[in-house]
Amino acid sequence: MILDGIFIFRTLIYPGFLFLFTLILFCDWFERKIMARMQNRMGPSYTGPFGILQPLADYVKLLTKEDITPHHAKQFLFTITPIISFSIFMLSIFCFPIDGVNVFSDYGFEGDLLLVLALVTFAHFVLFLSGWSSSNPYSGIGAVRIITQFIGYDIPLIISALGPAFLAGSLSLTKIASSQTLPFAIITPWTFIVFLISLQAELEEDPFDVPHAETEIVAGYGTEFSGRKLAFIRLSKDTQIIFGSALTATLFLGGPYGPVFSDPPGLWFTIYFVLKILFVIALLEIVEAVCARLRIDHVINGNWRIIIPAALISIILTAISSPYVKPLMEAAI
Amino acid sequence: MKVTTPEEEVIATMKAAVGDYILESKIPRPRRVYIRIKSNANKRAVSALLKAFPHAIISTITGVDIGEDIEINYHFWCGKAEVTIRTEVPKSNPEIETITDILPGAALYEREVHDLLGVKFTNHPNLTRLILPESWPKESYPLRKDWNPKHVGDLNGSLEETLIVGGIETERNGGPLVNVVVGPQHPALHEPERFLFKLDGEIVVDVEPRLGYAHRGIEKAAEQLMFFQDVHLVERVCGICNVAHTTCFCQAAEALGHIEVPPRALYLRTIVHELNRIHSHLLLLGIAGLEIGFESLFQYIWRDREIVLDLTEKLTGNRVMAEYSTIGGVRKDLTPALGNEIKRGLLKVKDRLNFYREVFQSDPTIELRTKDVGILSKEKALKLCVVGPVARGSGVKSDVRKHDPYAAYEDAPFQEILYKDGDSWARLMVRLDEVNESIDIILWAIDNIPGGPYRTRVPRRMPEGEALSRVEAPRGELVHYVRGNGTAYPERVKIRSPTLANIISFREMIRGCYVADIPAVLVSLDPCFSCTDRMVFVDEKSGRRWVWSMKDLRDRRRIGK
Repeated sequence: MILDGIFIFRTLIYPGFLFLFTLILFCDWFERKIMARMQNRMGPSYTGPFGILQPLADYVKLLTKEDITPHHAKQFLFTITPIISFSIFMLSIFCFPIDGVNVFSDYGFEGDLLLVLALVTFAHFVLFLSGWSSSNPYSGIGAVRIITQFIGYDIPLIISALGPAFLAGSLSLTKIASSQTLPFAIITPWTFIVFLISLQAELEEDPFDVPHAETEIVAGYGTEFSGRKLAFIRLSKDTQIIFGSALTATLFLGGPYGPVFSDPPGLWFTIYFVLKILFVIALLEIVEAVCARLRIDHVINGNWRIIIPAALISIILTAISSPYVKPLMEAAI
Repeated sequence: MKVTTPEEEVIATMKAAVGDYILESKIPRPRRVYIRIKSNANKRAVSALLKAFPHAIISTITGVDIGEDIEINYHFWCGKAEVTIRTEVPKSNPEIETITDILPGAALYEREVHDLLGVKFTNHPNLTRLILPESWPKESYPLRKDWNPKHVGDLNGSLEETLIVGGIETERNGGPLVNVVVGPQHPALHEPERFLFKLDGEIVVDVEPRLGYAHRGIEKAAEQLMFFQDVHLVERVCGICNVAHTTCFCQAAEALGHIEVPPRALYLRTIVHELNRIHSHLLLLGIAGLEIGFESLFQYIWRDREIVLDLTEKLTGNRVMAEYSTIGGVRKDLTPALGNEIKRGLLKVKDRLNFYREVFQSDPTIELRTKDVGILSKEKALKLCVVGPVARGSGVKSDVRKHDPYAAYEDAPFQEILYKDGDSWARLMVRLDEVNESIDIILWAIDNIPGGPYRTRVPRRMPEGEALSRVEAPRGELVHYVRGNGTAYPERVKIRSPTLANIISFREMIRGCYVADIPAVLVSLDPCFSCTDRMVFVDEKSGRRWVWSMKDLRDRRRIGK
């Protein structure tokens, strides 16, 4: 990696920061619109065509709002955690092959799957710290719930993420994505389902939105945040959703790769990538729309009693069936 | 004496038990019994009543300032009649023994009388303020007749005193406790109330509720207005069950003035009352979805509730605040065309209701969140004297429409919905099934409505006397006790809304539950809030006021782009 023009362009503009930022805002709108239509509502419809600029307007509004730090809050942690969590999620997305290669114009390295999973676990601790540092009872309860929920659900998420890695014979995101001529979601649907459920919990979507359950603990760990800090907290939540969808798309839906009809291939890869992300978001939102919120004890019990055993069984199933599904993968070529 | 009616039977039972203490007894109307007893015999009389009628529940306690003395009325529903046990205490030394130890459900009513009239209930476990703020001056009791707002003194008090309510505990039984204050403003609460939760991790150890944030002094204000004006005042006690309040007050005033209401008006009242119940129950079921994090359910149920609101508007002229009942009848007639439209609309609601019933019965997440959560046993429900769907969810028969019929309910064919489970789910299911029954009642009432006038003219002046009226509001038994003094102004209006009767059971339900259960359990009690449809706009500079109708809003809405 040398600091040349292309590198700066790729990190800051396409497919790096600016492109991802636009994608995040678009996905936020897409999510809200899809949810609203499923609930018989209009959804955002005022700002821009079809309300597409509403997320941007929300962030701009938040940036102009007064920024209040509670007297008893741990000033340093309270200020820095929103930015750190946003940066970590952004950095993790940089590792994904977006237009065929990742942001750093290479194919990653053997083991970057583990890197992104580790980064995300670290990001959860940062979110926990953000709630813990605000010294508010609601934030405190929310923070404790984050840590209980995520420690539990990181395990099945990582186990089921290993299924595709096992079939592809690699821990590199690019290799896993490019080895799927037939998506792993079709070859090993059992792993895909377990992965989606754990992902739903990781993203704090219904029925797992326990850490910020509005009617119980106001906004959970984010209760005390306002102004710019709240903007960053929300941004990091939205980035997290993109991250989750990108991970699913890469591991189970073949990542950005697909048929190329014209030059440049990077354009087609980006389109496939975005479409797959939107598909995953739509899946997650449908689950969210038809579920009530669970209780923290249901979440934990469900994890240790059902999801983790299911994840283990699914990986064993994948191992057993791999001799039979390998030809399937090759036959599709 | 040969016992003939249930009312006489009640008096005979009481005379047999505590005959020495009874000064006088009367039966002014069917199912209404008044017994005056010697002062300080109240506890004896109440325990005798409870012994004879184990299922008796206390409706409320009314204190009335009658000059030298303060009269205390204990209103009980004993299954056959509403028994009022009455006694007096001297104003100079207003002390009376508490009945909370034999009937825990009386605790809040005693605190209310203590707060507003200064009666001391000796041996009450927690005789603190219920409604007035902590900073309210001592020895200033607003419901006494000699009370003058000019002589109240410093109302501001110390802010600290107002804010710190309830004992903060940091330790109980050796374990540490976390104190979490919920309210007065909180996303789960739709009207201001304050709860101090004591938590051990995620488990609720105890809760201390504090009411009174929305106290507007309506009982006192009602004494300053004429009867026909009070109809509009009591309408504003609650935005959701406004029809119940007006119906209840009008019934009391009609009983007081011996006014014969035309039968058509009774049927019309029934129709509006049931429409009101449907809208209230659907509102709550939607809110229940929201509180347990099921937003889609909330959006869908509220969409179907619009049908009922539109029908209410067509019949009464108003969407929410019906302003329909009045003393001597109702304010608008029902045309046959509108009757058919109501029928069509309600059949649509009924169709949707079957779907929601299926959702509530079969959705696994709803089941996880509401089944076996916030359990109130039948015994506890009777002891705490809960009313309405909360009582019926615990298997206690408490439907005023069935047991103390008013309006056209005597002939109406409907079932009293009872569930035995006593959990949040049962309380929600009671409401869901009641909507179904309400639709049947309305369909029946439209088909069988008698002809004739829908209103009679009544004099403004009401004779001296008293009347107690009960209706089944959407949230449970609603009691209005009205006393007239021969003028156009009432001497005393006492309102007991169902939420006050039910809130006492919250502590019982929530102990041992998880923090996440708080909204789910609270919502099953149906805390109420009001909503209006039209906005009044005020131009700050010119002071011009105008109203946008729903049509204007629709026209101004931008769809898509």
